[in-house]
Amino acid sequence: MTAIDVSVAPPPSRPRFWRVFLRQRSAVIGGAIVLIVAIVALLSPWLAPHPYDATDLVNVWAPPDSVNWLGTDKLGRDILSRLIVGARTSLVVALSVLAITFLFGVTLGMVAGYFGGRVEAAIMRTADVTLAFPEVVFAILIAAMLGPGVSTIIIALALVWWPGVARLARSLVIVQKEELYVDAAILAGASPWHILRVHLLPNIVAPLIVRASVGVGFIIMAEATLSFLGLGVQEPTPSWGGMIRDGLPALRTDPMLACAGSAVLGVTIIGFNLLGDGLRDALDPRLHRS
Amino acid sequence: MSGALSGWRRALTSARVLALAAALSGGAGFVLSPAMAKTFRVNVVADPAQMDPITYSEIVAGRILRNMYEGFTVITDDGRNVPALAEKWEPLTTGPGFRFHLRKGVKFHSGRPFTARDVKYTYEALLKPGGKGGLNATYLNIIVGAKELKDGQATELAGVKIVDDYTIELSFTKPDVLFPIYPIYYMDSGIVAELGADWMTKASAGTGPYKFKQWRRGVSVDLDANTSYWGGAPKIDGVSFMIVPNADTALSQYDAGELDFVDVYAAAVRRVLRDERYAKELIRVPRAQSTYLGMNQNLYAPFKDKRVREAISLSIDRNAMIRGLYGGAAFPLNGVVTPGMPGFNPNLPELKFDPERAKKLMAEAGYPGGKGLPPVDISSTEAFKDEITYYANQFNRVLGMPVNVKTVERATFIRAMNAGEVAFFPWGWTADYTDAAYYLSQMWYGPSPYNRPRWKNAEYDKLIDEALTVADDDKRYALYHKAEKVLLDDWGMAPVPMTASVALRKPNVKNVTLTPFGFSLFSKIEID
Amino acid sequence: MLRFIVGRVVGLAPVLCAAIVATFIATRLLPGDPVAVMLSDHSADVQMAARLRAEYGLDKPLPEQFVRYIGDILTGDFGLSFRYVHMPVWQVLKDSLLISPLLALAALALALPVGALAGVQAAAHRNRFQDTAIIVVLVAGLSLPNFAIATFLVYLISVKLNLLPVAGWGTFRQAILPVVILAIPSAAYIARLTRTFMLEVMQQDFVRTARAKGLTNRLVIYRHAFRNTLVPLITSAGIIFGGLLSNTVVVETIFNIPGLGRLAIDSIFARDYPVAMAVVMLFVVFFALINLIVDTLYALVDPRVRDGAPA
Repeated sequence: MTAIDVSVAPPPSRPRFWRVFLRQRSAVIGGAIVLIVAIVALLSPWLAPHPYDATDLVNVWAPPDSVNWLGTDKLGRDILSRLIVGARTSLVVALSVLAITFLFGVTLGMVAGYFGGRVEAAIMRTADVTLAFPEVVFAILIAAMLGPGVSTIIIALALVWWPGVARLARSLVIVQKEELYVDAAILAGASPWHILRVHLLPNIVAPLIVRASVGVGFIIMAEATLSFLGLGVQEPTPSWGGMIRDGLPALRTDPMLACAGSAVLGVTIIGFNLLGDGLRDALDPRLHRS
Repeated sequence: MSGALSGWRRALTSARVLALAAALSGGAGFVLSPAMAKTFRVNVVADPAQMDPITYSEIVAGRILRNMYEGFTVITDDGRNVPALAEKWEPLTTGPGFRFHLRKGVKFHSGRPFTARDVKYTYEALLKPGGKGGLNATYLNIIVGAKELKDGQATELAGVKIVDDYTIELSFTKPDVLFPIYPIYYMDSGIVAELGADWMTKASAGTGPYKFKQWRRGVSVDLDANTSYWGGAPKIDGVSFMIVPNADTALSQYDAGELDFVDVYAAAVRRVLRDERYAKELIRVPRAQSTYLGMNQNLYAPFKDKRVREAISLSIDRNAMIRGLYGGAAFPLNGVVTPGMPGFNPNLPELKFDPERAKKLMAEAGYPGGKGLPPVDISSTEAFKDEITYYANQFNRVLGMPVNVKTVERATFIRAMNAGEVAFFPWGWTADYTDAAYYLSQMWYGPSPYNRPRWKNAEYDKLIDEALTVADDDKRYALYHKAEKVLLDDWGMAPVPMTASVALRKPNVKNVTLTPFGFSLFSKIEID
Repeated sequence: MLRFIVGRVVGLAPVLCAAIVATFIATRLLPGDPVAVMLSDHSADVQMAARLRAEYGLDKPLPEQFVRYIGDILTGDFGLSFRYVHMPVWQVLKDSLLISPLLALAALALALPVGALAGVQAAAHRNRFQDTAIIVVLVAGLSLPNFAIATFLVYLISVKLNLLPVAGWGTFRQAILPVVILAIPSAAYIARLTRTFMLEVMQQDFVRTARAKGLTNRLVIYRHAFRNTLVPLITSAGIIFGGLLSNTVVVETIFNIPGLGRLAIDSIFARDYPVAMAVVMLFVVFFALINLIVDTLYALVDPRVRDGAPA
């Protein structure tokens, strides 16, 4: 994550952006993957061939066949259906975390950067305390506090991520507020909130978008890790991390569950990462050679 | 190529070498004892929480302590209680209680002789405030003066009378015929004076065939053979309990020859049962654990109706569970008392899977197709996650019952269960001593704090009260059967399949096996 | 320079204090009663429960517990573990203390040269086959969760090929797989950073000048360009090491390594407050130390930071 250089210029013009973006094969592939996953997640109730919680103890760990295309898991549930619904879980968690993190993080960061002084100190110190904890340990602590479940994961991950976003927003605003257009707005009598929302926000949005797209991959991975450690989504809701966790002990005799889960998780994260990289390359003017 | 880059490279290389050297030397301290000494290596799932018989209160500690400490009697591999530290005993004539005649010539690991004084010392250590007395303390509540000692009003246990070095009389507040078989471990009264309050980190103070050598947290607990053991010196040099939390890892270590005997955890059972390679080395026994599905009538109104409870029991396809969920590593349980336990009733009818009759009963009770049933949570700890997922789905499908799955963290759950706050839950109660009373009086007796579903029946309680005064085994077992029938006829709970204990043993290892109560005794192990 | 370091340390103190308070509150807010865990199946014994509660000071009001705890820490007494009866916390910790940082360091020592080399190669052959191949591996390394990679590798190497032991800790051979698994995401991250920075640097004027002077391509790349990426790499080392510390948690669980990471999880789950607090605080302190060292290095190199430009 680029914490080093925060210089910004206005993002490149729209047609230029698409030209650069589409030129990179990897970014396009990433975008395609993300699109597919999103569609699957959206349409999951209709796409899943079987109910995801239908146990069938007579048919556990079944190999792939015409009824269960990817076989069944330890309770006889259809793996393919659970993968499809799992996509929804992963994306819901990731998007929720993203939304909360960016809502709070960007707002707090911008406020800190613009107003400075005590406000900035208060916000940044809080961020620092959070950042003092290693991510996984912090997430585990919070998740243990709140008990397993989807909302727990969302809260835990949002609490872990917001300081980084706040810091980024703050640095961006600090640089931007020296620009002329801000002075002009102040002279024109605009209120600070107006300036933040209407003038500053659009100009810092590019690096934030990059940060968001790069972050989604990590959030999905973090959710999978927490599920793997047993702190995750509750049964019978499927989650890719939880499926891998169930599948690992059976890896030698019935590898499909762990393999399918890992493959889908890996490809999805790769997709988001590629997309994020592509967005960053397309939006970051420094890498555009004229 | 020169300058910064090669300097950087050189620095990195030295750093790497340093790191590895440090790892090696740090690691050297952890290397296992050399294979020349004959050590029996077996796995346990976690570090024990205690290493002394006073505070002892959990299973892993129990498995380890069992080899270092002994009680008046010991359980043989086939489930009988035979004398150990007490050679014989008779009831007192003056009131409830026993007179025990202790075995002579028994020495503690410290070399001091085992006498009646050590028995009294152990009891007082278990009961006195601040001693953190664990599982074994609960057996002593019945001794005269126990309450006063626990409350701090007395400094000695009044109901214990030392007649001479090898004779001791215990007076009880009410009759308890089972006292001799309670597995209370006796410890050396002189150990604290010799080694201080943290003696258990340095040595063991028992009479058993093995003594404490070291405990490397997260790695292993190592015991040395006690060559002056009264039952004969062990034929091996020591025992190592390797701490392996992961099922797959344990199995791989067994395959690689790093373990002589592997206790196969649930996650790996299926693989082991299906693998031909293990067929000759496989041991499978039913666990002495009474498993049930509890239905608390106080918390969910439909449970008050016997027909609803019966319907739930009929909706469980136990055979499918044994084959599918447990991969064959489970046994059917038709009642409370488990097979192999004295007091077991082999004539109980098999529990049927009858969804049609279940639906009929539900309709008769006023909930046709599940209509009118309020939603209910079925909860348990992580260990029962698969079961409750199955049950929820099954009851939903067969009965139309809206059941939600809830996995609760262990400590919270145990407290909630004990407080009678959980409505619908599977659980298993493991026996600590070999008599059906352990199940019947702890789990389903009205006043018992461990009667978690809070099922109450006056007739049942009366039968249990009576049984606990009957010394004659057969007569007592007959009463157990009657009480069990009362419980089952009332559908007080739904018995569910008991998981099997599965283990693998290397062909060159002899005289050790699994019993329903855990590992067999290690005193006679031989390794070729 | 010294003023800078002192200034940083002083700035660290309130953060650490806040972290201690936060961790204390968090552990106390963990649902589930540690006394119930201690008593387990026999937690209906109210007398025993009350006794235990009094012994561990859990019956006092929270603020008082906190004050006593701080007082104890200042005298070096971290208390007794809840889970391992009679055992002082430091004794529970001491065996694990060296293991996790050692793992992380070994992984870093592996990841840095591998990652840097890969990144340089990719940048040098930009958009050609090596670049694309390396990028593909990079992205995979960053995207696949380490527990998935670990299982496949264990299956392949330990079970099928029987080359390395499955788990445990103590011999060199047992350390290989965990270190490699830990190193993979870090190496990928470092490679990507290196590639990006090298690409930037190679566009800059002085490189073009060097090329114009006629120096061979290889010399140009390695000597001039790479040197300039060292600084950003070093500063990223802080982030990387922090991430490594976190990743040890999962790796230690998979490979059954008795390190701090596994201890953290186990003690939090077992509601062993004293040990959990001590481990979490240890992580925080390690983390803070690393960041301090990295910031100092950065300040040494870049005077603007030393003099207080916005971070």
